[in-house]
Amino acid sequence: MNLYSRRLLINRIGIALSMIAMAFGLLALLWILWTLFANGFAALSWSLFTQDTPAAGSDGGGLRNAIVGSLLIVGFTTLVSTPVGILAGIYLAEYGGRSKFAALTRFVTDIMLSAPSIVVGLFVYALAVATLGGFSGWAGSLALSLIAIPVVVRTTENMLLLVPNSMREAAFAVGAPRWQVSLKVTLRAVSAGVVTGILLAIARVTGETAPLLFTALNNQFYSTDMSEPMANLPVVIFQFAMSPYDNWVSLAWGGALLIALLVLAINIVARVLFRKKSSA
Amino acid sequence: MSAPHPATNGNALLAVRDLNFYYGDFRGLNDVSLDIAKNRVTAFIGPSGCGKSTLLRTFNRMYDLYPGQRAEGQINFHGENLLDRKQDVNLLRAKIGMVFQKPTPFPMTIYENIAFGVRLYEPLSGSSMGERVEWALRKAALWEETRDKLQQSGLSLSGGQQQRLCIARTIAVKPEVVLLDEPTSALDPLSTAKIEDLINELKSEYTIAIVTHNMQQAARISDFTAFMYLGELVEFGITDEVFVKPKKQQTEDYITGRFG
Repeated sequence: MNLYSRRLLINRIGIALSMIAMAFGLLALLWILWTLFANGFAALSWSLFTQDTPAAGSDGGGLRNAIVGSLLIVGFTTLVSTPVGILAGIYLAEYGGRSKFAALTRFVTDIMLSAPSIVVGLFVYALAVATLGGFSGWAGSLALSLIAIPVVVRTTENMLLLVPNSMREAAFAVGAPRWQVSLKVTLRAVSAGVVTGILLAIARVTGETAPLLFTALNNQFYSTDMSEPMANLPVVIFQFAMSPYDNWVSLAWGGALLIALLVLAINIVARVLFRKKSSA
Repeated sequence: MSAPHPATNGNALLAVRDLNFYYGDFRGLNDVSLDIAKNRVTAFIGPSGCGKSTLLRTFNRMYDLYPGQRAEGQINFHGENLLDRKQDVNLLRAKIGMVFQKPTPFPMTIYENIAFGVRLYEPLSGSSMGERVEWALRKAALWEETRDKLQQSGLSLSGGQQQRLCIARTIAVKPEVVLLDEPTSALDPLSTAKIEDLINELKSEYTIAIVTHNMQQAARISDFTAFMYLGELVEFGITDEVFVKPKKQQTEDYITGRFG
């Protein structure tokens, strides 16, 4: 066998192995999506959005309370984690530099990024639920914020570090103070990337279950009172999917499909936005 | 202290005296003294790494942004040493503007690019801000090309236009001094010619200090020339004299292209 045909053979083996690996990963993904879509679309109906979660043993029902609860909890999470995350990211990229405090902040952020979400849930349980008298939507938002903030902090910092120093110098050169340089010039230069980071953080927390189990818990009834236990899609899915009732299981599939579609939509928006802005 | 060169006598807006600059332990400038004459163009030439940009960046304290860089000595500006710790650096930079090597439009509209700096120190109303923007764009010979697209991104302009936008942005703040750090090195000859014309126009109202690698450019546009080498000011004088009969052998060697 000469050198060329040997290389050709090795090349083909290499390609074949990567194709198998890819097929394996893709197959798992498609299988999950197929199962989800098949069962989820079967569960989709108008009543899913108009009726609340049914009591054990009763027929029908929908997910209205869980959908509204999830939107509220994730909405407040976004309201809290966006400014906190962006400001902390600005601090790290524009002010902190190589200082000890910035290094410590980065270290803690990295730990929080990889902390298991159940630990975050337990932490908020001990901090807010056990001490302040019970499960609530606020506690749920707090737990999700603790997961979302580090994502926003790191994306903001990484994006700002991509801004060339020449842009920063140019803004300082017209006499702008540092906060104006940060907020109006460098942050604006990477706004698409930062928004993408926020959207991805939202997508991430939308499906989180463990932190909500210990904090927002669940609520069989429709409620917009954030200081009460609150229904939400992940926990409803968690409880209903393992139940013996057919209508509960079907609702769980419907909820899972809703979350998957929402996350998909957020991801698509994030990608489109990022591509459009970065090519402009 | 006497003036380092009689040519600028009595007309110095910036008076540099015994200036030393350090990048950490490395000394980037060595006892530099010279005057920047008011309403004149002063050019800094010399091989790469000779300290000419470093010197320019002390005039608006740009080095302050980087820990580890420091300047010692005096740069007198209206009777105050601008290297003083108690100087308001932001205000100083509004009075001593700077244009950089690469065009750096801000990520906003052409209008906002100019209004951004003005707004920092002058709370102008909408219409007078519009007038100021037009004034600055006219000064920078960019008005005709941009009057219909002020709301477009500054990044949509060509390289040469972007650099003129940066000049417009700098003079819109109405500084006294304009520092130009190789402003044409990233531009084509036509854009370069436009910017050189512009510098000629501007010097009646502004004091200009320009760093350039292009010796013809220095000869064409400047009134005074400073030749620097290895962090030292080798020769400083009236441009015609420096180029026609330099006093130092090093200057002659550099100008005639024997090194550098």
